[in-house]
Amino acid sequence: MFQKKSNINTLMVVRIIGWLLMIEAIFMIVPLGVSLYYREFDCVKSFFFSILITLFLGMLTSHFIRPMRMEMYRKEGFLLTSLVWVVFSIFGMLPFLFSGTVSNVTDAFYETMAGFTTTGSTIFVDVESLPKGILLWRSLMQWIGGMGIILFTLAVIPMLNKSGGVQLFNAEVTGITHDKLRPRVSGTAIGLWGVYVGMSIIMVVCLMIGPMDWFDSLCHTLSCVSTGGFSTKNDSIGFWDSRYIDSVVIVFMFLGGVNFSLIYNVLHGKFKPLRENEVLKWYVLLCFIGSLVCFADLYFRGENKNISDCFFDSLFHIVATITTTGFSVESYSWGQFSLMMLIILMISCACAGSTSGGLKIDRMVVMLKNVKNEFKKALHPNQVISVRLNGKVVPYAHVQRVVAFLVIFTLILVISTTILSLFNISVFDSFFLSLSALCNVGYGPGMIEGGVFVDLPMAVKWILMFDMLIGRLELFTVLILFTKGFWVK
Amino acid sequence: MKIVIAGAGEVGIHLAKLLSNENQDIIIIDRDEDKLAKLEPYNMLTYIGNPVSFATLRNAGVANSDLFIAVTPYETDNVLACEIAKTLGAEKTVARIDNYDFMIKENRSFFTERGICDLIYPEYLAGEELEVALKRAWVRHWFELCNGELVIVGVKIRENARIVGMPLRELFKMSNYAHISAIKRNHETIIPRGDDYIRVNDIVYIATTNGDMQDIRDLCGKTDIDIKKIMIMGGSRIAVQLAMRVGEDYDITILENDYKRCEELAEQLPDCSIIHGDGRNFEVLEEEGIVDTDAFIALTESSEANILACLAAKEYGVKKTIAEVENIQFISEAEKLNIGTIINKKLLASSRIFQILLDNDSTTAKCLALADAEVAELVAKKGSKITKAKIKDLNLSRDLTIAGMLRNGKGQLVQGDTQIQEGDHVVVFCLSGAIHKVEKLFN
Repeated sequence: MFQKKSNINTLMVVRIIGWLLMIEAIFMIVPLGVSLYYREFDCVKSFFFSILITLFLGMLTSHFIRPMRMEMYRKEGFLLTSLVWVVFSIFGMLPFLFSGTVSNVTDAFYETMAGFTTTGSTIFVDVESLPKGILLWRSLMQWIGGMGIILFTLAVIPMLNKSGGVQLFNAEVTGITHDKLRPRVSGTAIGLWGVYVGMSIIMVVCLMIGPMDWFDSLCHTLSCVSTGGFSTKNDSIGFWDSRYIDSVVIVFMFLGGVNFSLIYNVLHGKFKPLRENEVLKWYVLLCFIGSLVCFADLYFRGENKNISDCFFDSLFHIVATITTTGFSVESYSWGQFSLMMLIILMISCACAGSTSGGLKIDRMVVMLKNVKNEFKKALHPNQVISVRLNGKVVPYAHVQRVVAFLVIFTLILVISTTILSLFNISVFDSFFLSLSALCNVGYGPGMIEGGVFVDLPMAVKWILMFDMLIGRLELFTVLILFTKGFWVK
Repeated sequence: MKIVIAGAGEVGIHLAKLLSNENQDIIIIDRDEDKLAKLEPYNMLTYIGNPVSFATLRNAGVANSDLFIAVTPYETDNVLACEIAKTLGAEKTVARIDNYDFMIKENRSFFTERGICDLIYPEYLAGEELEVALKRAWVRHWFELCNGELVIVGVKIRENARIVGMPLRELFKMSNYAHISAIKRNHETIIPRGDDYIRVNDIVYIATTNGDMQDIRDLCGKTDIDIKKIMIMGGSRIAVQLAMRVGEDYDITILENDYKRCEELAEQLPDCSIIHGDGRNFEVLEEEGIVDTDAFIALTESSEANILACLAAKEYGVKKTIAEVENIQFISEAEKLNIGTIINKKLLASSRIFQILLDNDSTTAKCLALADAEVAELVAKKGSKITKAKIKDLNLSRDLTIAGMLRNGKGQLVQGDTQIQEGDHVVVFCLSGAIHKVEKLFN
């Protein structure tokens, strides 16, 4: 009755991480199989050892650490969620190191973090020279990270199906509020992952019909529905130069940016939430306006005057940007105006509850409506007005949280840009890199000056990794660990 | 099991949390968004809407639910919501009411015809509970299990009890009719072993067969209190229920603050003396003869006032005090303060619903929940682990104990060398959270 709830149940957190490591080891079996199939024996060996280490440590912690209490509260939720993403990245980088494809820890960790957070910026200059197993592992990491490591665990481990599980769910899933689909959190997790897996299967089939082989189809599917952006080719999707492939990728990138609970509802025959969803309308509108601007810029300024090329290129890049996927079809110099358009879209990003990163359109809409209300209030101080989103009133407490979110987002962006500029990276590049990492887009210096990520100084890479992590977990979950109040009893 | 609860009041929220912890699928409906917002961190689905509306109930998924519980503040709403839920396809429906008329047997068919399977009337349940408490004034808790063949009593131990300071092993040799199942010491419940001993101020839960009650009472150093005169503070609905039930056996005085209410009470209960006055005022208490009173029952809306009034009554030498404590957090504190019996409408209503669940689904066997321990009544299945060896050879976990069993319709206690057989009804005491271990033993 009078338990000290403020004590953090660290042992329980460590134990659950043990279970999660075993799950990661199981995921690693997939690239192991692919390496075997392609007879890449070095790669097989590296995966084999990675699995062994991960599994062993996972079993050790989950078996020998016996917590006194099983309860998990809000604090444990934040701690576990943040830690899991870091721990997953630490073990996820083992195959890179063992196979010798990456020589130092910083780069390997960067690649893994960019994978799990679905940022998709790579340190590899020539991805085509990588073994198939490694290529698949990169895409698979994005796929797991896209929907969420914790969410997957909630779906498969029944032990987390308690109120502690709800805390984890809230700490990982994106958005202002978190829709529950089913009464139990495991049911919700299974529902969301079901939609995700279903979408992935359909996309693989669609891609295989086109000129892609099964391996490339699989890899691109995994990194596309998760809005990650790792590719198996140096020229990304542009390698195939096929309108069909472009279209399929555009469609699924777009779907990856839609709120998954909305898709779930539609699949279950409930169309009312879809009709009422204002965020989706804004999403479509933003895609449309962005493409139009980009198209005009390309058509009137660029050298290529082919209307269909311009149309596809602009649409592809706009959708790839707004969903924070970061695929590209064509590398050309962007006009300043188009670049600005991309930056705006990178900040706003797609719908909450999707696999995309960034601020989310939901927050932008709430913010702008709140600003509009403030203007009204300036004229009519006694007027009572509320912010409405998707037909429902957003409680004032939520509006305040959105404002706080925006403030922290801006602060982090400024701090990150400042630190990067210390390394004599141009101010614009510093800003662009920080934003791209924080929103999990993954556009790199190549967008601007033809540079590559691997050349960045080591410290810069660590800063960017931190940006990616807090961006993926929507700031509060990670940053709260750095507050004093979190650790005080 | 999918359970829909209409009304996020105190009972609704308590039930929802309880059932969610039991791994049931819970959907809770209420008009008030703020009430539901508080349930956000729990493992359940909330739905904002009017519970008496086809659209709301349909959208909340009542159609394929196993149980629909209506506990909004208005009984008419509850009855109507249950009717709608049943029409939409809910398997079983339960409505909370606060009208004695609905509970009468002849009127029940009216509700069954309309698809309302069960009615809960917390005030009525409280009346029942009070009646038992008055009849057996020396115990704090009285649970009958296995059709009344086994009884578990909770007794507060004083200095004069013979069992104080004696290791349980020896105690058991001396008196094989008592099985000490659990001890509540301060805020903690422990399942005792042979080398534990009982201390003063422990609340001891003893399992016994119905015939040996006299000996248990002697063992605990208690005497039977013959109650004649009862004073009730607060003329609530529970007070009316109680007076209607036992008015003929006892001499009842009701103190009520509100004059209007006093008039109503006087009209309803001609045999009781209704006093217009504040029960917290000692002059009024003395005037009405608190000194000669055998039992003092505090039933006002305020838990704090009830607890304090009972303490004051103790000072005047009243032997049995009963307080209604609606804040669940206070119960443990109140027990420490030597208040004889605590009643709580929420706990009563939720254990009733647990029983209904039990009837619905024979795999969940929980029957009553104490503050941090649970008593379960289970049937040993063929080939289950519990039937494999004698109790002492089973290496049972330390947080559960087997209190007694019902074999061939006869209740008996369980000892170390008893072997449970297939088909025995077994009563198990376990700490909260150990119930899954119990289930493993029996399946």
